Amino acid sequence: MNILDIRNLTIELETDAGLVRVLDRFSLQLAEGEIHTLVGESGSGKSLLAKAILGFINPKWKITADRLWWRQYDLLNLNPAARRIITGRDMAMIFQDPSSYLDPNDKVGAQLRESIPRGELSGIYLKRRADRQTRAERLLHRVGIKNTEEVMDAYPHELSEGLAQKISIAMAIAHNPKLLIADEPTTAMEPNTRAQIYRLLTKLSASQGMSILMITQDLTAVIPESKQMSLIYCGQLMETGPTEQLMSTPAHPYTEAMLNMSLYHQQSEPKSRLPTLTGAIPTLQHMPIGCRLGPRCPYARKACVQQPALRKIKSQQFACHYPLRDGDDHE
Amino acid sequence: MIRYTLRRMMLLLITLWLLTVFIFSLNYFFPGDPLTNMSGVRASDALNYQLATATRAFDQGILAQYSNFLGHLLRGEWGQSLSTQQPVFQELLPLLGATVELSLLAMIVAMVIGAPLGLYAAGQRRGALDRLVMGLSLSAYSIPVFWLAQLLILLFAVKLGWTPISGQINPLFDIEVSSGAILLDIGLSDSPYRSAAFADAISHLWLPVLVLAMMPATMLMRVTRNSMLEVMQQNYIRSARARGLSDRRILWRHVMPNTMQPVVRQLGLMFSILMSNIIITEVIFNWPGLGSWLVKSIYERDYPVMQAGLFTFAALILLVNVLVELYHAWRYPQVRKELYAER
Repeated sequence: MNILDIRNLTIELETDAGLVRVLDRFSLQLAEGEIHTLVGESGSGKSLLAKAILGFINPKWKITADRLWWRQYDLLNLNPAARRIITGRDMAMIFQDPSSYLDPNDKVGAQLRESIPRGELSGIYLKRRADRQTRAERLLHRVGIKNTEEVMDAYPHELSEGLAQKISIAMAIAHNPKLLIADEPTTAMEPNTRAQIYRLLTKLSASQGMSILMITQDLTAVIPESKQMSLIYCGQLMETGPTEQLMSTPAHPYTEAMLNMSLYHQQSEPKSRLPTLTGAIPTLQHMPIGCRLGPRCPYARKACVQQPALRKIKSQQFACHYPLRDGDDHE
Repeated sequence: MIRYTLRRMMLLLITLWLLTVFIFSLNYFFPGDPLTNMSGVRASDALNYQLATATRAFDQGILAQYSNFLGHLLRGEWGQSLSTQQPVFQELLPLLGATVELSLLAMIVAMVIGAPLGLYAAGQRRGALDRLVMGLSLSAYSIPVFWLAQLLILLFAVKLGWTPISGQINPLFDIEVSSGAILLDIGLSDSPYRSAAFADAISHLWLPVLVLAMMPATMLMRVTRNSMLEVMQQNYIRSARARGLSDRRILWRHVMPNTMQPVVRQLGLMFSILMSNIIITEVIFNWPGLGSWLVKSIYERDYPVMQAGLFTFAALILLVNVLVELYHAWRYPQVRKELYAER
């Protein structure tokens, strides 16, 4: 059962050079309790997608979609107030530089207590306050912080980035969200802390049936618990499907290129060439027509100036005219 | 915080010490006899002059003279005025009270007007009201205070007659001067006409307060507006909103404290500007404060008074700046981290 269903989501930005399509007919489905990894280079529109889901929308953006559904709600056609209530209740997000998402002039404990929803507390004022305190402590225990008193009495600038990320996870799970969007949550962290954060996230997902949309830069950061994966390039969906299947038998040239890249360290000869695609990511104003990978794709042919439709082999979907594995079982 | 406080205190002491050295050296740079400049005793008054020579160690070297000067300064024996023959320190105290009262009221009025208008302008960003408020604040900021004061006197005192032209209070009320701050003095006095005196004092007060408040208020307005606009774009505000906190809570709990942080930092600077404006304003409104006293002493070449006025103004500005910095560092802890790059 999909709780998040996105079909052909398009986001256009108004710039001086006219409308720029930063997300081009993007689709994504997310099931309950599933960890889905979205892989894309910087500027591919993955953070924008997260913002569109959460409703951090700039009035200058033009957003159209065939479907943008969260459970039974059609997010695009809800009024902003109702949408904010639903996303505030059901969704949460954690970010790359966690400490900038904490108020620098407020103690961590106060901010944590504040994020516990009022509706879940009862009794008179003093009892509510005590309840908030114990619940805040419990939240910190759940994210693996033991010296709760010390941490709650600290200001955000006194925390390490790893600790700040744990705090923001604690704040994010305070109202038991159904969906957590993690936007490159471990960039600029030490491998040790990184592993801790990932372990924490997978544990939370398993114990609470929380879906996680993990956004990362490259395939090396895809964790084994993430059963589904999507690749996005310049705002277009390249390929999506079960992680294992994509890793072993990629259909899209982009997936293959990313795979070669991430396997390079383990398999290549010393001093061999880095397996990269030729060229560079095009600027937003000069996107190629059709498949945006076209100019850089080693297998591109004439047909690639038309945008390919999504095709499906088993549960693997990809948008390519000349896939690497042509389906014996075409639909 | 203790370390920070100590450092600021050291800075305050060192600056004050340098100030005393400067003031001391002025006695030798002013025309005339250094001892007369310092003590206010003329050489023609032979007996007292000899006495002053002995007490101020003018028969010894310059270092002894300085240490004696420092001793006199700390004991509050600042010599006597050349024109009134009164002890300078005793003359100064009520004047200081009047000046502090005026500046405090002006600061309060500036904050009450400036900060909310700035917040309001930020809320209406790029709207007609924002432009109006910002345009008005820029033009008010550009008007020199002496001109503004005259214009307002012409309008409110001369043309409309709402307020007396100058002075602190109608002398008929015969309020005894103790602290110099007129509202406080009225409260302390046992005059049967206290409430009438109070109303009269207010009618004298509001115009100079308004004139003085104008410049800090416009500065506050701009600082507050820009600061709030910046805070509104911060990640923690957006994430607070995404977490579903109410607008009111976000405003009071997160936007306001962070907005006020740079504003508080500016208060010291604002006070310095206020102090230079207060000198002119007191002269225009004939306010019996430090500023008009200082200007009068300059006209009369009354060197002991000049020194005392300069020293008091400088010390006041220094003290307020250090206090503002201490409050800033105490209220906003990450400031201390920036200062030491501590973790």
